[in-house]
Order: sequence, then C-alpha cells, then structure tokens
Amino acid sequence: MASLVDTVTIVGRTAPSRVVFGPHETNLGDGRAIGSRHAAYYRARAIGGCGIIVTETASVHPSDWPYERAPLAADCGPGWAEVAAGCRPAGALVLAGLGHAGGQGSSAYSQSALWAPSRVADAINREMPMEMEPEEIDQLVAGFTGAARLAVEAGLDGVEIDIGPISLLRQFHSGLTNLRTDAYGIDKLRLTLEVVAAVRHQVGPDHVVSVRLCCDELAPWAGVTPDQAVDQVAALAPQVDMVVVVRGGPFSVSAYRPDGHAPATFNADLCRRMREAAGGRAAFVLQGSVIDPGAAQAALDDGTADLVEMTRAQIADPRLVTRVRTGAAHRIRPCILCNQACRVRDNRNPLVSCVGEPRSGHETIEPDPEGTDPSAGEALVVGGGVAGLECARVLAGRGHRVRLVERGSRLGGAARAASVGPGRERMAELTGWLETECRALGVEIALDTEVGPTDLDAAADRGAVVVIATGSRPLPFDPPVDRTITVVDGLGLLAGDPGRLPDGPVVVHDPVGGPVGVGVAEWLAGQGRQVAIVTADPIAGTQLALTGDLADANTRLQRAGVTRELRAILRGAKGGRALLDDVWTGERREIDCTVIVDCSHRLPEESLYLSRPGTPRAGDCVAPRTLLEAVLEGRRRALEIGGAMGGGIR
Amino acid sequence: MSAGGHYRHLFTPLQLGPVTVRNRIVFSAHLTNYAAHGLPTEQHAAYYAARAAGGSGLIITEEHSTHVTDWPYEKLIHGFNPAVLPGYRRITDAVHAHDVPIFAQINHNGGQASSLYSRLPVWAPSPVPDPLFREVPKAVETHEIAEIVAGYATVAERCIAGGFDGIELQCSHSSIVRGFLSPATNRRTDGYGGPLENRARLLLEIVDAVREAIGTDKALGVRLCGDELIEGGTGIDDAVAVAKMVDASGRVDYINSSIGVATATLYMIEASMQVPPGYAMFIPSAIREAVRLPVVGVGRFKDPLQAERALEEGQCDLVGVVRGQIADPDFAAKARSGHSTDIRTCLSCNQECVGRMGLNRWLGCIESPRTGREAIPLPRRGRPLRVVVVGGGPGGLQAAVTAAERGHRVVLFERQDRLGGQVQVAATVPSRAEFLDIARNLIVNARRAGVDLRTGTTADPDAIRAERPGAVILATGARPSRPWWAGDHPRVVDIRDVLEGRVSPEGTVVVVDELGFHPATSTAELLADRGCQVEIVTNGMVVGQDLGITLDLETWNVKAHAKGIAQSVDLVPMGADPLDGGAHPGGVGLSLQHHPTGTDQVRECDWVVCALQQRPEDGLWSELRHSSFAVHRIGDCLAPRRAHAAVIEGHRVAVGL
Repeated sequence: MASLVDTVTIVGRTAPSRVVFGPHETNLGDGRAIGSRHAAYYRARAIGGCGIIVTETASVHPSDWPYERAPLAADCGPGWAEVAAGCRPAGALVLAGLGHAGGQGSSAYSQSALWAPSRVADAINREMPMEMEPEEIDQLVAGFTGAARLAVEAGLDGVEIDIGPISLLRQFHSGLTNLRTDAYGIDKLRLTLEVVAAVRHQVGPDHVVSVRLCCDELAPWAGVTPDQAVDQVAALAPQVDMVVVVRGGPFSVSAYRPDGHAPATFNADLCRRMREAAGGRAAFVLQGSVIDPGAAQAALDDGTADLVEMTRAQIADPRLVTRVRTGAAHRIRPCILCNQACRVRDNRNPLVSCVGEPRSGHETIEPDPEGTDPSAGEALVVGGGVAGLECARVLAGRGHRVRLVERGSRLGGAARAASVGPGRERMAELTGWLETECRALGVEIALDTEVGPTDLDAAADRGAVVVIATGSRPLPFDPPVDRTITVVDGLGLLAGDPGRLPDGPVVVHDPVGGPVGVGVAEWLAGQGRQVAIVTADPIAGTQLALTGDLADANTRLQRAGVTRELRAILRGAKGGRALLDDVWTGERREIDCTVIVDCSHRLPEESLYLSRPGTPRAGDCVAPRTLLEAVLEGRRRALEIGGAMGGGIR
Repeated sequence: MSAGGHYRHLFTPLQLGPVTVRNRIVFSAHLTNYAAHGLPTEQHAAYYAARAAGGSGLIITEEHSTHVTDWPYEKLIHGFNPAVLPGYRRITDAVHAHDVPIFAQINHNGGQASSLYSRLPVWAPSPVPDPLFREVPKAVETHEIAEIVAGYATVAERCIAGGFDGIELQCSHSSIVRGFLSPATNRRTDGYGGPLENRARLLLEIVDAVREAIGTDKALGVRLCGDELIEGGTGIDDAVAVAKMVDASGRVDYINSSIGVATATLYMIEASMQVPPGYAMFIPSAIREAVRLPVVGVGRFKDPLQAERALEEGQCDLVGVVRGQIADPDFAAKARSGHSTDIRTCLSCNQECVGRMGLNRWLGCIESPRTGREAIPLPRRGRPLRVVVVGGGPGGLQAAVTAAERGHRVVLFERQDRLGGQVQVAATVPSRAEFLDIARNLIVNARRAGVDLRTGTTADPDAIRAERPGAVILATGARPSRPWWAGDHPRVVDIRDVLEGRVSPEGTVVVVDELGFHPATSTAELLADRGCQVEIVTNGMVVGQDLGITLDLETWNVKAHAKGIAQSVDLVPMGADPLDGGAHPGGVGLSLQHHPTGTDQVRECDWVVCALQQRPEDGLWSELRHSSFAVHRIGDCLAPRRAHAAVIEGHRVAVGL
C-alpha cells in the first residue's frame, strides 16, 4: 500500500508525496500576473513536502476576467517560471491551473459580454451571457493550447484544466447551462475532449495533463449527476493523466470547499466510484475538506484515490507533509474549516491567509515565528485565550521561559466558547493544538489564577517581560427590559451550562451577522427551544457570505424552525414580548420573548492594561475581533520581545 | 452677453483665502478606486485634468490617508507614504495646465474601516463598531491622538510639496474626526469626549497643526456633516456650532458641507434619482448664516440652472457638482458658453459610479464611456466609412454618436417612431423618469454630430445593403421571453406588456422577479399606484438585491411599505394554472417552490407580471453576419443586459471602425 508521503510518478515525473495543493483564489498577483508573492506562497508548501502544486487558475482567454486579480495565462509566463524555480529544489511538481469561468464570470472588469454555451443567466451573477459561436469555440481551444504552451515553456510539469464548479467547460457538460442543438449540445463532452486533445498535442506525452472534473452538480433535475459523470470519466480518463474529482455547480458553488458544516472528506464515495469507472486509467485525486492525514491515508488504502488534495490543510500548516513524514502528525496546526481567511473570492481582494497561520499568503511580509532569540529570558503572559496561547507558544519556541496565567479553569478563551454548536466544533481544535504545543514547549500554565497590577510589577522587578491578553467582556445590554425578561451574554452562554437558561421563547440578538449569532440560534433550536434571531440586515448572518455559508445557514435556520426577524432593531422587551422596529420604515412589531441572548460585539477587557498602560497587549483586550487578529497580535508581541519583529508594526 | 451667459452667480470669481476660483462649480472629493499599490496613478491625473479642461472652478481630489492604521478599502491613496509625491506632482501639473486650482482632501477614516488590509487595529474614539465594517475598533490613547494630528500635518505638508493649492480636511462621511464629533461614536470620558467643545478638540488641533504645516499662502477647508441621519448622531445644531468654532479659529478659508454617514446612510450622501435634488441644502444654508467663511453646498446638482439658483438664493457660495461632471467633464464650459442643453446630464442612476465604488472597482459612468478611461488613448481613427446603425436604443445611439464624432458618415434606423429603446419604456415609471435623460442626451448629441436619424424605419437586409455600408452596427435590442412555466395563460405577462400599455392588470398582482433590479420593483410600484394589491416574489434572498449597490434599496423598501407591496424571497415559479371562479376569476394559480427547502405553495391572483431575462433580437445578425462589409453587434442583441453594456459596446465598436 502506498503511503501518503511516498513518491508517485506520473508521465515520468516524480512527485515527492501524494499530497496535492489545489488551485484556489489568492489575490496575490500583481495585475493579472502570477507574481513573487505567489512564488513564496507555493514554495513554502513545496518545502513542506507537498507532492503536486496546481497554481491559481489562469484565464486562457481575455474574454474571461472573473475577479479582479484572476491570473491571465498570457501574463503568467514569468510568474510560472518563478514558481517552478522556487518549488523545484524541493521536488514538488507544479501544474498550471487553466480555465475559463464562462457565464459564471464577471463583465465588471472586461466590460464585455460573458461567453457561455447558451443564453442562460447564472444564478449568482444574474448576467445574461452571449452564446458562443464557432469562432469563439475555436478561440477557446486555441486559448487552452496557447496557455499550455506558455506553462511548459515556463518549466512547469504540466497543466490542469478546470472543469469544476466555476468553469465554462462544465457549463458545456451540464443540461442546466448547455441548451445547444449543434454538435456541442448533442455531445456535451465534445468541447472538453477537443480541448484535452489539443492540450495533449501541445504539451506532449511527457507533461502532465490533469482535469479538475465536476462529477456532481447537486442539481439532479438537469445538472451533471454522478451517473453521467461515470460515463464522462470513462471517456476522459484515457486521454488524461490525472483526474481531480470535485462537486458543485451553478446552484452549489459553495459545496466545492464548504466550511465545517459539511463533513470532512465528503467526496470519498464519489471519488471511489469515478476511479473505478476509469478502470485504472489516470491517477485519481480525492478533494473536498480533507484535513486529516489519517483520513487521507485511509483514502489511499481503500482504493478511493491515488493522491489526496489537502489544500486548506496546507494553508493552515505549510509543513503538513513533512510533519507526517517525521512522525509528528500530532503537531500539525489544524485546519478548522472556518473559511474565514482563506476563501478570498471577494470584491475586496483580500490576500489569502489563515486564522491560525496568518503568515500564509503573507510569506514575504510577516516574519517567520520560528527561530531562537539570543537573549531569551522570562515572560509572563496574562490570559489563556488564543492571543495569549500563541504569544506563549512563540516565546517558548524561541527559548523564553514562559508562564501563562489564566483566570478561568480552562484555556482557549472566546474561541473555545464559540466552538459550541453544530459545525462549529472544529474551532476547539485550534485552541487545543495551541495548548498542546505550549505544554510540549514547556510553558508553565497556571489556571484559576487572577493577575493584578502588583503581579505585573513583581514580574517586571524580576526582569520578566509581560504581555496582556485578557480578552473581552460583554457589551452592557442597552435596550430596556422588565423583570419578565432574562438577558444573557451569547458567548457566556456557550461557555457555561445551557440548562440554566429559563424556559420560554428565546430571542437571539445578532447585530454582528457573523457565525456566533447564527450558531447560537441553531444550537438553541437544536435543544428544542423556540428561537427567533433578530438582525438589522435584510438577511440573517450576512457576514457568512464571506465563508460561503450564507445560503446554507439560512436554510438550516429555516429547517430548525428559527424565526428570522429581519431589518429589525431590538428596542427592548417587557411582559414576555420583545419590541422590534423596522430599520427603514420604523414600523413596530412584537414577538414572544422570555430570554434574550445577546450576541453583540464585545468590549475589550482592559482593566489590567489600564492599571499599567503601555504594557504590550494582544488580541481582544486591544479590540475584540476574530481569531486571525488574536493569533497575529499574540505572535507579533512575542517577536517584538525577542527583537525579531521589524519596527513600525503595531 | 457677459461671460457666463445666463448665469449671474455661477461664473463670478471667489476668493478662498489665498486662492481665487474663477467660478463656483466645484468637483468635490469622491472615491475613484484609481489608485494602485496605495499610489495615485496616471488615470487620476487624466481624470482630474479632463474636468479642469472642462471648466470646473475648483477640483478637490479624493482622500489621502494620513496614517498607516487607516486602510478601509483597497485602492486608497496612502498619503502617509512619501512615495506618493511623484503622483501628486503629475496630478497637480495636469490640472494647473488648465489654470484651475486643485486641493487635496486628507483624512483618517477612523473606525469606519477594518483591519483587512492594514492588519492593524482600527483606530477610533471608542470601541463602537461601525455598522458596515462591523469591526470593534481600538479606542485611541492620548499619545495616539497626538500621532493622528501629526499625521495630518505631515501629509498636508507633503500635499503642498506635491503642488496642491490647498488642503481640505474630511470631517464628514467617513472620518475619525467625524467619529470624535459624533455622540454616536464618541463615548470618551477624557478631554476629547463629552461636551461638544471636547468632541471638537481633535478637529481644532488638526486645524492648527495643518495650518502650521502649510503656511498662509495655501487654502485650508473643513468638510463638515450637517446631519448624520443616524440615531444619537450629529445634527444640524451641532454642525453649525462646530462650523462656528472652525470659523473662530481664524485658520480656515472655507467650509464644505455634507449629509449622512458613508457607512450607515450612504443612500443620502450619494442620493439616487429617488431623492429630490437640493435635498441637503438646509445644511450649507444654516452654516452660512452662522459663519463668515464661504460655504460649499452639495446634493445632486444635475444642471447649471439648479446651481445658479442655489447661489442666488444664498444657500451656498459654491456648488459641488460631482456626478454631473463625472457624466460630462465639460459641464462648466458648456454652461458658460451658453450650451447648457448639450450637457450630458447625470441620471443619478448610480450604476457605474457609486455602484462600482462599493465593489472595489474603478469609477465609471453609465453614459460616459470615457469616464475612468481618460488615461487610455483611443485607437487611431480609420478612414471615414459609411456606417449603418440599426436600432435607436442607448447602444445604437452611442455607436452612432461616437462614429459620427470621429468623422464617419452615419445613418441610424429605428423601427419605432421614437428613439431610446427600452429606456423609453423603463422611464415611464414616474420614479424612474430621470433615466430618460440618457436617451435625451444621446439624441441631442446624435443630432449635433450629424447622424442621419431615421425613425419609423425598419431596416431589412436589402435596405441596409442599399446604403452601401462600410460597416454595419446591429443594436436591435431584445424582446421578452415567455417563461416555460407560464404555458399560454393570458394573464401571465411581461413587464414590458404593462409599461408599453398592452395590458392593464387590476386586482391582485404577483410580480415575478429574476433580475433583482429596477424592472420589477419599479413596475410593482406603478401597479400599486394604480390600485393593485402587489406582491413581488424572487428566487433571490432579498427583493431587489442589486438596488443595494445603487443605494436604492432603502428608498424602495420605504415606498414598498407605504404602498403595501409584499415581498417574498427564495421562490421559484413552477406553473401557472387558470382559475375559473373564486376570488380571482380568469386569474392565475401560481405554483411556487421554496427552493432552499423544496416545499411548494400556490398564490391565487388576478395577474402575474414577469421581470425576466430577455431574448436577443438577433435576426438581422443571422442574415447579415457573412456579408462583404463588417457587421458588429452590440448591447442586448448580443446578450440582453443593462444599458451600460450597450453604451460601452457601442462606443467600443465605433472607435474601432
């Protein structure tokens, strides 16, 4: 049986492991080129032992400009060469991701009509595309071959053709989007076969030709079904070297790389079935929330796949493969499938990153926290939440003697509290990992211990450096309520015992629109409570659009029987009724309420800081924000202590 | 007639401290998203220069950030980075070439930001999260306030070194100064919080520091918000009191005014056509009564006459005309030379200017294809051709105008008796009437450019060939598409059937929307005004989702509520059955599926009106595409979309001839 960390040889090219880093939006480019930041990003994964890296999908034709920083193959030659040069020493194979988003693209940048098989407006962009005529089809095929030529000339090991959930070729495969009556409509695979043949002819037999193939559009009334995909795979597999089995289509784009509400390794059955259909032709790659090396190995062992794509897991820990190889799999920084920083298909063009490893995507900007400080000494970190844990971890790793003091009886702070509820459990894996690392690095941990100003003074007198990471406290609940109403803090509720919540209808007050309010509502509904979620927005959980969970979250709320009180401002509650005003019309309405669970923004817990202002501090006690800022600031404070942080960054 | 023609006030020079402006038309500060890597670009220079060339009296650039903690949107100019200086010089040289003064607006956005780009805590007076960004900011400490003030002074000095004639302090819209001024966001208990004098302390410290930095031979202005339109926020009384403090400082040369908070009530800052022009003039009026300084008024000034009237009535001393000059850079020059009717008036549609800003895209204009592209040279003109344009909608008209302006001989055929295409139809809804200006502007320009406009003339292939064209541009538009689920039910109709007067629904009407924009909501409004009981159903998660980016969602919802229009989401039509008796004889039993859960429901109604994707009218394309002359298709006959696509494609094809 092959091991995950064994080599694998494809068309004579040997990858150092069977772990794939798949193509994904990064916004790391300059203009539409693959750039130096890409190269540093991919190189970190290559050094970490990754077997095959597929670069961010590049548009093969100027008619395609799906997001502002989407690479354009014609601009990518030098960047691809830089990536190849960076990854080659580590042995990783590099394939150029090539694609065309078709009717799922955007005309905002090209200011031109979208190309599509037929005049079917996409469900998300709602934009009517133009129907491709023979001229455009010829240009598309030429675009793929021209891009493939550039890629191999740049020294890449091959190409991967995108037929995934956002792709023109998949639009040709699908009855949802291909209504043509010509040869490309009668044989929906025809264009793909033409593209594959042309690309193969271009790159020759000694370069890898891979396809990222949607095998289930999750729209069985007209979309690609696994049954159809079996036939497509049978026809395609003999023509290609590698097939990455994926799912998702125009109505389910977010199913491609969902957050933790979807089970891990969800494509296993689909991949196994496709691999069987191929009858041994082509190497098959399992994709889809594979974050655990054990599960990845199991997929190799049971014939599900020949390789495993672990993209987000390697965003979270670039050294994932090396750690498996050296028997240190337990030290892999876990991907918690939160999608908060790595899913960057977003108009704001955020750089790809990771809440647990904020250096990801910022390899050329953020310093590497590993290393040893020449003048390591004693450190006191106050607060055992994520910021404090990360600070202690980095300090200890750099040789400091660290004492971490936590007021409560367990570590993990707000992140651990927020990890309660369906689909949210993985959050605790990051705090658990931080705790384990701290203990392994010899951090002295004191629980149930209050720290006051005099303790800071005493530490300073001993020559210890101090970092304050005391987290947040609830915002005082402002709207008036009478004695029939109990108001509880959302995070406090999650951290404590829900059994103490009084009976009766619950109103979840969610001015934030993030994962916590929706999570609390789901969690309480799951316990049989009558729940309404109140938001000023026209949709519940608006901020979940960024993680891809917005539509799914609203469906879950509906199925759980949670009432969504939209466009509503909570004015108060009395006599068992909550008073809501419409944000735009001012219209008053009332709903049943005995308990208000307040999921508002929080305030910094800064009393200790204010007693000794100027002391270094990190995370929520500066301003309550997300995991990423807590990790980033905890790390920065640690690096500043050792002098390893350049000046000028706060 | 004197210079300025009909306008006695608009073209009277005015002194702003040490700077003389030759007229009262200001191109006020606004975001463009033209910056790259935090630096101003060639596009900035070309953009401002075009308005200077067009006669604007004063140009105020978009904001320059004064501090590294301030990076709320990607394409912000990092004034705190010394590398901006060459870009500043490029901008000021380009504008000064037209003898027009240019000021730099400098700002720190404070809590109206996130740490997404900076990876630093957001700074604000108090830990009050902004309603848009929703990130809890860090309450700035005293030494950080000093750092903010120093940042303003440094950047102001840099702007002057870059050739700017003055500095405007942004203290409205989105600003840490606004944050300190406003009781809604300032909860401090130190000397910078509490009474207004304390909340204004930061502003006055900045005024002092900036004046010290720039000296007395450059102008200094302060832009104040007269009404934040948020609960507990700054109102007009506080604004006037602050204006007095600014005046009393003796260190400021003018006051600019504004309304609303960019991250809470933006729909009143950059009001769409749903809000009457001049809606914010109570602010400069009130300030002007209280101070000696010249005051700028803003708020949807579309034509010079409006601006003249505001000056004449003493509401303000200068008028900010932003969108008016985005749509037509020559707004001022045309007014001055007595050609006001040639001005390509702004529609206040917000589709390509405001609508692109929130999406991190470069600023454009629905009816000005060159806006945002000033720095990109047009292709060289080919030899003059005989050009036939078929279709008199916005795409065809734009193609005809551009081709004629570039020296081609152009004939335009329009089947109907009037020009404007679907714009004529859309603008029949009273609240959308200003959209008709796009057609009016194009028709005026087509006539002026000498286009041979032949309305009421159907162009078949023979008629086109008879013109012996060098090039044919097909802009034949689109037609409604009958949805599969409607069968042949006569009471399931298209919005165009309603707006073009072919049917007059009465009773209970369901409007089915799969476009998410004005077609459904404006038709629903019209039907409700005619007495119908209206419900909009959409497959989206919200009705009119794209109204959000044009800032029409708020006004739509207020109107929908007032008119009793119901809104239902996540629904997909599955069938339309005839109703015989009951409450809706002859009506429709509309089957709907709630797609997230797969559950079915039925609406019984008298009529169903559909706002759906259309089909291209591309018959002529099929007949002509293999002709001996070049044939192009643009706009809806290529793929039915919104007006901007037609205009852009009309222009692109015409300049490529």
